[in-house]
Amino acid sequence: MREIRFHGRGGQGAVVASELLAQAAFLDGKEPQSFPFFGVERRGAPVTAYARIDDRPIGLRTSIVAPDVVVVLDPGLLGTTPVTDGLRPGGLLLVNSARPPERLAVPPGVYRATVDATAIAVEHGLGSRTMPIVNTTVLGALARASGVVSLEALQRAIDRYVPSRPRENRAAAADGFASVRLLDAVVPPERLAVPVAPGASPTIPEGPVATVPSRSIRTAAWRTLTPEIELARCTRCNFCWKYCPDDAIELDAQGFPRIVLDSCKGCGICAAVCPPRTIAMVGLEEAA
Amino acid sequence: MTREVLSGNAAQAYAVRLARAQVVSAYPITPQTTIVEQLSRFVADGTLDARFVEVESEHSALQVVVSASALGARSYTATSSQGLLLMHELLHWAAGLRAPIVMGVVNRAVAPPWNIGADHTDTISQRDTGWVQLYPESSQEVLDTVLQAFRLAELAEVRLPAMVNEDAFYLSHTVEPVDVPPAELVDRFLPPREGHAILRPGVVARLGSFTGPDHYVEFRHELARATDEVLRRLPEVEEEFRRLTGRTHGGALATYRTDDADAVLVTMGTMSTTARTVVDELRAAGRKVGLAKLRLFRPLPEEELRRLAGSVDRLGVVDRAFTFGASGPVAGEVRAALYAAPQRPRVDSFLAGIGGRDVTPGHVHRMFEELLGPDGAETVWEDLAPTEVGVHG
Repeated sequence: MREIRFHGRGGQGAVVASELLAQAAFLDGKEPQSFPFFGVERRGAPVTAYARIDDRPIGLRTSIVAPDVVVVLDPGLLGTTPVTDGLRPGGLLLVNSARPPERLAVPPGVYRATVDATAIAVEHGLGSRTMPIVNTTVLGALARASGVVSLEALQRAIDRYVPSRPRENRAAAADGFASVRLLDAVVPPERLAVPVAPGASPTIPEGPVATVPSRSIRTAAWRTLTPEIELARCTRCNFCWKYCPDDAIELDAQGFPRIVLDSCKGCGICAAVCPPRTIAMVGLEEAA
Repeated sequence: MTREVLSGNAAQAYAVRLARAQVVSAYPITPQTTIVEQLSRFVADGTLDARFVEVESEHSALQVVVSASALGARSYTATSSQGLLLMHELLHWAAGLRAPIVMGVVNRAVAPPWNIGADHTDTISQRDTGWVQLYPESSQEVLDTVLQAFRLAELAEVRLPAMVNEDAFYLSHTVEPVDVPPAELVDRFLPPREGHAILRPGVVARLGSFTGPDHYVEFRHELARATDEVLRRLPEVEEEFRRLTGRTHGGALATYRTDDADAVLVTMGTMSTTARTVVDELRAAGRKVGLAKLRLFRPLPEEELRRLAGSVDRLGVVDRAFTFGASGPVAGEVRAALYAAPQRPRVDSFLAGIGGRDVTPGHVHRMFEELLGPDGAETVWEDLAPTEVGVHG
């Protein structure tokens, strides 16, 4: 499953963007889900919208707190809204901005991309310079940068579901696809396909899968990200302990996990298998 | 059969068009508005042959459809939260007059403080008005349930109004793939309403006249018996629907992996989807847990709840509303229903998702842990912030 979170302002089309993405993913043969979160319904107020895309029906009806992709329709939100909250290592931040992606501040391990969607939208007569409607351009850029949807399906979805100026919106999506600036190579789709549903595995091991702890080889030196467990939300399912490939997690007397930092190489498997997602991979300097 | 990506609200409007409703009247209120916006578009573009009556309030909207229903028209309205509360007086009228109206309610928190998020206080507090109440969890179930609600409501033995309730945003504005049945198929399931006109144009008659204690009791008793009939007829209606579409939503109490379960959570609405995923996760880890989704809250399927209670040690009821001075309202009703059961499991009361608060897999995991734990006497307010928010300045 891929989880995508959109940040925009009322009137910019973030909600329509998430719905269009769902329609396009459906045309790609996927099982999509999308919904908005409204605070105050007013033009200019920050708006969040969510989309999930999977090969099988989505079994969740909750907000997205650990997205694989974050899309920001308005660069002005970067200073006021914590848009990268929960963004997974190996994930992608895509921002509508004229600046190069190097200028984006992101958590370690996150891919960066920018697209000058405002200029493209204005060029195609979508909205005005003060209130451009950038959603279709940004979706074109998203298709290229993340591979979560095909440009062809996106353009078919625009034809079917965008009531106003479908031709201009289609062209804007194509321009967004062509002009998105990626800091690294295109994110390989398998990098985004983080396993999030351990229940999908038919057998859960009784104990740790690791048979040889990394006590002699100091793999801790490889670590660029450190897992931090929010114990207040931990359900003590112990999946992290079971799936750690280096036996670098111990259980205390109450059954709560603790990271053995001498053995942890920062691979992030514990964070990926944690059902309530209580484990964050943080940079070394931020780690406590 | 076509497959389309629809929100819960769009699914509701599509179902009303498939049901060939003849009169629609409503007043806009977030997050319901997109239902009647879509219906007014259907009427305007000629794909729904209905009279769309614009009104100045929810109270009037319900009066319009009560009158239309008395004239024999298949009638529909929709509302939310404060709008439903404004209808309160006429909710009693609709049930008492035995008007088989279907109403979409998008469950939204009640003010103050002002909030548009999902919360069941609006519909739960209308439980004594005599309306049937159904709580679907997906856009597909919304579409199917609206059609089933019309069929059920119009049965001669029932003739009661029915609410089809959707959690605000988590369902009303969530788009997902939906199978839309062809009109011919729905026409076979739901033929035109006939034979129920209490009033006829040109014939002088009176409805809702003064009735003394010599007859009033019998009217109320008939209403009570009609409500009981819903429990008997819902399985038949669902079976007929399954024969035509291949889909079923599990009757009044839809159970999932409860057969050998030690602990079962009872949920309503969208949190059921997330809870089912958690049940699968816990089952994969060897924990014997299950889920029972209460689709039908009014009338309450007491016998099915007692049957479930016969095989489990612990029931946890998750409410998205609170009855002040008591417990979660559904928890209270489940406890009362089980009092006459030969085996009574411990029933824990959880509150979750109040005012649109997210119900995450982590919350459901924790509720199961608490349910399997030693305590359980008091209502647990899930996810309550540790610091009190000052409301009195």
